[in-house]
Amino acid sequence: MDIQQEDFVDVAEKALALGCQVPTGLALLPRNFESAISREELLHESEAPTVRILWRRAGLVETPIEPEGERFPQISEESFEEWVGPTIFVSGALMSQNPAVFSLALGVIANYLTDWFKGIPMGRGEARLDVVVEAGKTRYRRLHYEGPVEGLQELAAIAREVGSNEPEGD
Amino acid sequence: MNQRVTEFLDEFRNTVAECRRFCYAARAREFQAESIATLETLALDIADLKAEMVELQDEDVANCMLGLSLAAKALSCELRMWVALKDDDAALAWDFLAEAQSCASNAIRAHRISDHLGRYVERLEVLERLLFPPISFTSLGMVIQESHCSICGAQYGDCDHVKGEVYMGEMCVQEITRADLAEISIVQRPANKRARVTTIGEGGAQRDLLTWRLVPPSQNEGSTTGL
Repeated sequence: MDIQQEDFVDVAEKALALGCQVPTGLALLPRNFESAISREELLHESEAPTVRILWRRAGLVETPIEPEGERFPQISEESFEEWVGPTIFVSGALMSQNPAVFSLALGVIANYLTDWFKGIPMGRGEARLDVVVEAGKTRYRRLHYEGPVEGLQELAAIAREVGSNEPEGD
Repeated sequence: MNQRVTEFLDEFRNTVAECRRFCYAARAREFQAESIATLETLALDIADLKAEMVELQDEDVANCMLGLSLAAKALSCELRMWVALKDDDAALAWDFLAEAQSCASNAIRAHRISDHLGRYVERLEVLERLLFPPISFTSLGMVIQESHCSICGAQYGDCDHVKGEVYMGEMCVQEITRADLAEISIVQRPANKRARVTTIGEGGAQRDLLTWRLVPPSQNEGSTTGL
């Protein structure tokens, strides 16, 4: 299991610059959100619709960045043993007021992947996804996860810690 | 489960056990061919029972029948692989092995009745390593513009069906209906093992990477298959 952390672009500012909606709770960010210059370039991971269905079925509310009625294309690079998930955004407000929502969001993905990887021999199935956490008014951190499904709960714990660790001055 | 289903499960287990006896290189080709025919008949019986269960809206048994049909198909594909190897058709044998692996994995996903197939999946992987040389695979990267749910036909993501889950005996698939090719890459662990590099150039000729034979120019029109 491997979790790496790094700073991420100001999500609210970037969303506005791209003509997208500013996410206020739980959201999915396109793979190239940081580097895109225009909205037309934005590409979700191919698993983004699947995650949205899982969240919807679990009663989780997403605040999508897509303008009303718009869909971003998805990039698909299929692999037998690796599930590449979308980038999950979680706002500071959600993380501080209702952290259980984020745990549930990762939990429903973990449950789905447990079944998805059932046919993979010798427990080789791995998940790869990013979580972007709002860690202050204009400070965002990206957590990159690669590892077994069981490690997603640890990712949730680290994300909560990052989200509650606002630096002074913010 | 009702009496009829229970009896059918017994019949399924007996038939599969009988056919598995021929999943070895040493077994005679005619018995392997006979077993393939037996499994085809079994598949028809499973399909009939599944249709009945769908009619009765018995989702668990319908899903169970999907698991059984995939398990039977996996076994049939393994037998076809052995036959193809005896017929000196390595490419066909590879395709059947890849199909057997895919069916066995999907059988496990389809219903808990196939949970025990984990060891069979491992056996197929061992066969892959023992019977075939190392293979380079190709993988398509694409930008999906439009895709649909195979269960209800809605735009994928708009309905509540999730790919890989089973609904009334059918596994949900995201059917890609419009996409742009982004890249083709060489990978070690592909989603589709039939997409492989088949030949390499050698002094103006092409060599088959499975058999190591030089490919006659008439058959030498591409270097990948299964894309």
